[in-house]
Amino acid sequence: MLLAYRIPRQPSTLRITIWRKLDRLGVARLGDGLVALPADARTREQLDWIAEEIGEMGGSATVWLAVPGNAAQERAIAEEMRRARAAEYRAVAEQAEAAASARPGERSRTIKRLQAELRRIGRRDYFPPIEREAAQRAVRALVRVVEGAG
Amino acid sequence: MRWATRAGVHIDRAACAWLIRRHLDAEAEFVFVDDPALVPADATPFDMRGAELSHHGGDCSFETILRRYELDDPVLWKLAEIVHEADLDDERFDAPEAAGVDVILRGLSMICDDERVLEITGPLFDGLYEFHRRALLLGREPA
Repeated sequence: MLLAYRIPRQPSTLRITIWRKLDRLGVARLGDGLVALPADARTREQLDWIAEEIGEMGGSATVWLAVPGNAAQERAIAEEMRRARAAEYRAVAEQAEAAASARPGERSRTIKRLQAELRRIGRRDYFPPIEREAAQRAVRALVRVVEGAG
Repeated sequence: MRWATRAGVHIDRAACAWLIRRHLDAEAEFVFVDDPALVPADATPFDMRGAELSHHGGDCSFETILRRYELDDPVLWKLAEIVHEADLDDERFDAPEAAGVDVILRGLSMICDDERVLEITGPLFDGLYEFHRRALLLGREPA
């Protein structure tokens, strides 16, 4: 599924709002003003609303159900999305490992934050990379450190 | 009155239907359509692209209906935070209930049709409303 859009240059806060929303959805960026997501009921609805919002701010946007010209293109886009999520999972794993030596209160706060971060990444993870398991393990290990310290 | 929305209802549409029945039109009749072009002429559309009662400026449809009909009950606005987060998940509000409500609605849409989802979620929203009404009166979580 594709969203083709144009947003007025000013005010830039509107552009940033839309960029943030697209980032949160984990879109693949195919070009200037063109992003892709795997099509399902939820992504369809999310892109529809963003298209609507762009229209309300004076831009233009269309949503397409598209078929890639060949399978290699599709794989390349999926691979790019997988790599983007893998980097996010690695960052979570690193923070979890670093927090093992932090003070107890700080550790508990980090656990909460990383668990929320894992949920956020999971929602935009359409092609789970192997790093997901490592990140989940690292956060679970941190939970055990805290429980062990009781 | 007749009201129309997109078929395959999720949190925002279920909550809007509840809000319409409880606060705007006790006799409300709902029509579910797959295409905005199929909305009957005598029905008011909601939570559909192009409709007035829909997402606007970062608000979900539930919030839009509250604004449009000037429903300023603070308990309804508390529910609006939950609906907003369950629907848009943009972290504008801190609504820990949202994740649970979202999963319940997604699960229900897998096992029943839209009419039935509205039937089941009626008491769910009634309960959420009552909980938050008491919480507001007490100034803390009710027992």
